[in-house]
Amino acid sequence: MTQPLLDVRDLRKHFVTRTGRLSRARKVVKAVDGVSFTVGVGETLGLVGESGCGKSTLARTVLFLELPTSGEILFEGGRVTEGEAKRLRRRAQIVFQDPYASLPPRMRIEKILADPLAIHGLADRAAIPERVVQLLRDVGLGDGVARKLPHQLSGGQRQRVGIARALSVQPSLIVADEAVSSLDASVRAQILNLLKDIQERQRLSYLFVSHDLGVVKYMSHRIAVMYLGEIVELAPADPLYERPLHPYTRALLSAVPSLGRDGRGRIRLEGEPPDPGDPPSGCKFHPRCPLAQPICSQTAPELKEWLPGRFAACHFALADIEPKPRPETAT
Amino acid sequence: MSGLATTRADELTAAAAAPPARGRVALRRLGRRKGSIVGIAGLAVVASVAAFAPLISPYEPLAQDITNTLAPPVWAEGGSLEHVLGTDSLGRDVATRLAYGARNSLAISVAAALIGSLLGLITGLVAGFFGGWVDSVLMRLGDMQLAFPFILLAVVILGVIAERTVLHLILVLGVPGWIVYARVVRSRVLAEREKEYVTAARAVGASGPRTLFRYVLPSVWQVIPVIAMLDLGFLVIVESTLSFLGFGLTPPTPSWGSTLAEGRQFLVVSPWLPVLPGLAIMFTVLSINLTADGLADVVDPRLTKGSFRRQMLRLPSRYNRDRGDDQPLLRVRDLAVEFPLGERVVRAVRGISFDLERGQTVGIVGESGSGKSVTALAIIQLLDAPGRVTGGEILLDGQDLTRIDRKAMAALRGRRIGMIFQNPASSLNPVLTIGFQLTETIRTQLRLPQEKAESMARDALLSVGIGNAEHILRRYPFELSGGMNQRVMIAMAMAGRPDLLIADEPTTALDVTTQAQVLEQLRDVTRASDTSLILITHDIALVAEYADAILVMYAGQVCEAGPAETVIRDPKHPYTRALLDSLPRADTPSGARLQAIPGELPDPTIVPRGCPFAPRCPCVLDISWEINPELVEVGPGQTAACHLWTPDEARGAAR
Amino acid sequence: MLGQALRRTAQMTLVVFGVVTLVFFVLRLAAGDPARLLNQPGTPETIVQQVRERLGTDRPLLVQYGHYLADLARGDLGVSFHGGQSVRDAVLEALPNTAALALVTIVVASTIALALGIAAALRPNGLVDRSVLVYVAVAQATPAFWLAVVLVLVFSINLRWLPAIDLTGPKSFVLPVATLVITLTPVLIRTVRQSFLETLSEDHVRAARARGLPERRVLLVHGLKAAALPLVTLIGLQAGFILAGSYVVEFVFNWPGIGKLTLDALASRNFPMIQGGVLVAAVAFVLVNFVVDLVYAALDPRIRLRAS
Repeated sequence: MTQPLLDVRDLRKHFVTRTGRLSRARKVVKAVDGVSFTVGVGETLGLVGESGCGKSTLARTVLFLELPTSGEILFEGGRVTEGEAKRLRRRAQIVFQDPYASLPPRMRIEKILADPLAIHGLADRAAIPERVVQLLRDVGLGDGVARKLPHQLSGGQRQRVGIARALSVQPSLIVADEAVSSLDASVRAQILNLLKDIQERQRLSYLFVSHDLGVVKYMSHRIAVMYLGEIVELAPADPLYERPLHPYTRALLSAVPSLGRDGRGRIRLEGEPPDPGDPPSGCKFHPRCPLAQPICSQTAPELKEWLPGRFAACHFALADIEPKPRPETAT
Repeated sequence: MSGLATTRADELTAAAAAPPARGRVALRRLGRRKGSIVGIAGLAVVASVAAFAPLISPYEPLAQDITNTLAPPVWAEGGSLEHVLGTDSLGRDVATRLAYGARNSLAISVAAALIGSLLGLITGLVAGFFGGWVDSVLMRLGDMQLAFPFILLAVVILGVIAERTVLHLILVLGVPGWIVYARVVRSRVLAEREKEYVTAARAVGASGPRTLFRYVLPSVWQVIPVIAMLDLGFLVIVESTLSFLGFGLTPPTPSWGSTLAEGRQFLVVSPWLPVLPGLAIMFTVLSINLTADGLADVVDPRLTKGSFRRQMLRLPSRYNRDRGDDQPLLRVRDLAVEFPLGERVVRAVRGISFDLERGQTVGIVGESGSGKSVTALAIIQLLDAPGRVTGGEILLDGQDLTRIDRKAMAALRGRRIGMIFQNPASSLNPVLTIGFQLTETIRTQLRLPQEKAESMARDALLSVGIGNAEHILRRYPFELSGGMNQRVMIAMAMAGRPDLLIADEPTTALDVTTQAQVLEQLRDVTRASDTSLILITHDIALVAEYADAILVMYAGQVCEAGPAETVIRDPKHPYTRALLDSLPRADTPSGARLQAIPGELPDPTIVPRGCPFAPRCPCVLDISWEINPELVEVGPGQTAACHLWTPDEARGAAR
Repeated sequence: MLGQALRRTAQMTLVVFGVVTLVFFVLRLAAGDPARLLNQPGTPETIVQQVRERLGTDRPLLVQYGHYLADLARGDLGVSFHGGQSVRDAVLEALPNTAALALVTIVVASTIALALGIAAALRPNGLVDRSVLVYVAVAQATPAFWLAVVLVLVFSINLRWLPAIDLTGPKSFVLPVATLVITLTPVLIRTVRQSFLETLSEDHVRAARARGLPERRVLLVHGLKAAALPLVTLIGLQAGFILAGSYVVEFVFNWPGIGKLTLDALASRNFPMIQGGVLVAAVAFVLVNFVVDLVYAALDPRIRLRAS
């Protein structure tokens, strides 16, 4: 395999939080706790998990928007340090979830798109307007949008502007942090297809973060499943959905309401996700796991390759709970 | 300085999140308030009197006339036009002294407000944006200052200065004001800094100062003039108070406060002497405050939130009540709901009809703005003001909910119609325990004594799968997870054993594994008590799994309805079909491409002439642009509102 | 919990210490020579010097400061420059009068604010709301000292119903309290109205209605409890305003309290007395805010439970 575009090694991001407004007690929340993965050129790696699993923190830490507590990030072959963050931002960009909050409310669209060009000296002053129009066209917006303010646009249009801003520096990697989660169904598909088209055209790589398993499946070549700050399973998209190895992945997939299924054979997870500031011992999933054995509460399983290309952090990755019902196509 | 300015400034901070108006809109908004027009006019009068004092007044402010002391004003007995407002104990012209007093008072207050706002803006920006020790030091300093009413120190400081000049007063009044501005600016910067656009600015490589000045400052500075205006009113009062106590400008320099203090000695013989300067102060401060309110309205365009009021147009009943045995539990007919917003009207629901049988679950599916939640709130009669039902009927067992009075409706809620909401944490009162709220609900609905209600509360929690009920009852909502709170909401809604339960996006705020738990619980409890359920959601897959019937809404109308399974397997309306095709699903084969619906969701203030889906429809007909299609039967129990299915004779003419 | 109490005490001590220090130095550096002021102009320098020695103002500033702090630590506030009265006695004599005034004011003002604020919020833009807002606007623009003078003019001089000055009995409270209440209520009413309005538009109020709770219960139990919180905080903040207001009111009504004591002392450059007055004000202010925080925590479980 050729050198990956992004190589994240044993990345950790810990937050120290006070437990209350007046109290002095502190605890450490290990939002990202020893995560390693790679993203190849032109590849999309999906990152999926429930709220509080650390996927958004991971996305931001990869771009040095949060400083990593420890670990290494190699980008385009070189190790990224805090001092080089600007170089990184010239080549790696982010698209956010909330199209209302992610654009400066008092800046015209043309300025929003021109500012990155000015910061990185990517275009002559005279060439900027033309480049802005080009960027707008790339994301399917007309020239008329340039003079508008963000609140004059619809949610879908704003998200297109957000994508155009990310594209303005001609990056090789875009981190999409729940980029379509706040969009309505009919607009969401447009944006997903746009992202796919751009990838094809510009050979971009995506780190695609979402809680929506359907969306991740649609976008990703490979998928990493996170639980409490760790990757519990990493596999190519199709096999992951057909035969998930980790019991958490199985539960997650079976919980998704599906058009062609009535919920029979669903794995009911008991209890609530634990407090990330006070995770269980051993395998963090063991208190809720239908397969849990005594060893699970003592030893944390390593993420290891059980089948070719398919990694899981579980002592019993190949044990079947029960045959998963075959997905049917509804329409 | 910790007085009114802080409090009102805090109000503003909380409010000023929305993008303020610009240019002409701002002016119009300012003009919309009669109060602010009066305020600006008043301020203009005071300002011109102050500016042109030497031109207006025929006398020198210090010129004494011992021969004509304590002359009454023109309207009192013995008054003359020579001294319109009379003279004081030294025979000085009161009108002249008031005009020159305005000069001093305003100059000092304006300068003090400027100094305070400038200092505050800078410190607030720095503290908020850079944080860390700079922030700690500045804010601790501010806390210290606010921890003691500064006006007392001002009195001490000014009290011991022998020759008090304008500059002294400006500094003593102005400098301490920084903290009021700094706090507001800082908290706004903090709020802005958390927003994704600031992270985005960093992500595109903008430096700290660039982010601060280009991105953050434009969203923050607007509060400054408003606070400054409020501060100005406060300063005018403080300045005159200081003068009154004898700590203002050294006499005989005229100021309103000192004129009043001098006049006070002649309260009995010449009451107008102390009264007139007070009126001048009141007039000025009132004008300033009215202007400030207008400005605040410009900065914070949130309209005054309406109170809870049932907004209902009384309409003559157009329907024959059928009281037969086949009457469904709920029958909605031609329901229309509107929200008047200024000159525009959002027509959120435009004539929808459906029936719901006892024990049945109907899923209402739609995107934002489709009117699905508004429909739910209209049924339980809890529409937010200014929303109102403008037409149609909502019949619960034949009784029209749109026509019963407010008290009767309140009696129906909880006992016949229950509702749970999207955000369980905010739907519970944050300062009351789960036990209190649950027990109170049970007591009200079942009219039980406290003790009985408490034991029922435990049972109610057990019935929604909460095992350690005793423990949970003593908790506050913020101590529980979202899933747990939503179970509590279900327990509360079901406590009165309602015939109909409305669940408005009950799991949208929850994780997918919790969502499955909660929905299954919801299904179990409604089935157990034969309660009908309206499940409102944007996720058509949920309806497929949990509902018997489905209602697909678009732009305030029903576009397709029928048995859930049939509609999802064989959708007849192009929108339903497109919606299903545009969903990425776990079982979508990789490499397949989603069929996205082109275009944008419709503007709810514009009522289209024909079919609302026409602009985005792949099979749009000519007639679709002209005539809004009616729901027609397209299969067993299945209806769709589309011209593809309207009988030829109905649309023949237009083709 | 203990650590927190200690921290809080240290914080309060620091504020009082800061205020006391500031006042000490402002007086010494800006006020001129009190010994000279105590004597007729033209008094021989030797006599003035004797006075200085008696007052202790001849010693270096830092030495004076050290003595002052040492005395303060023992609870000794020094003696008046005039007549040698103990400052502590004078202050303790004046304190109850100011406290009584402030207490009555707070009780009356909060009651009025709650009643009018809620009445206004129940029907925004209704007749009650509009009238209350007019009152708020006018009262907010009215300077306390002028109001005091006008009240005296009307009720004492013209109508002769109430005493104009001095503390002679319960009737004496009416005008000073009215002055303070009228100047204090606008901001309180605004806050109550605003927070009640906000509470009423919150999800949990709608949910309470959806559960079929009677409207009275929704307003009085669910609405009021949440809306009372800002009022509590505000009263803490306004304690300073009341103190400042009582200076004016005590001045106009010749009320034998801390404010009048301080103002009189200022006029005669009576340093120990000024310091004593300011010290009492500072201590009172931080204590009030401490109590307010306790009340707030008791009312709001979110604060109470996260802290423990």
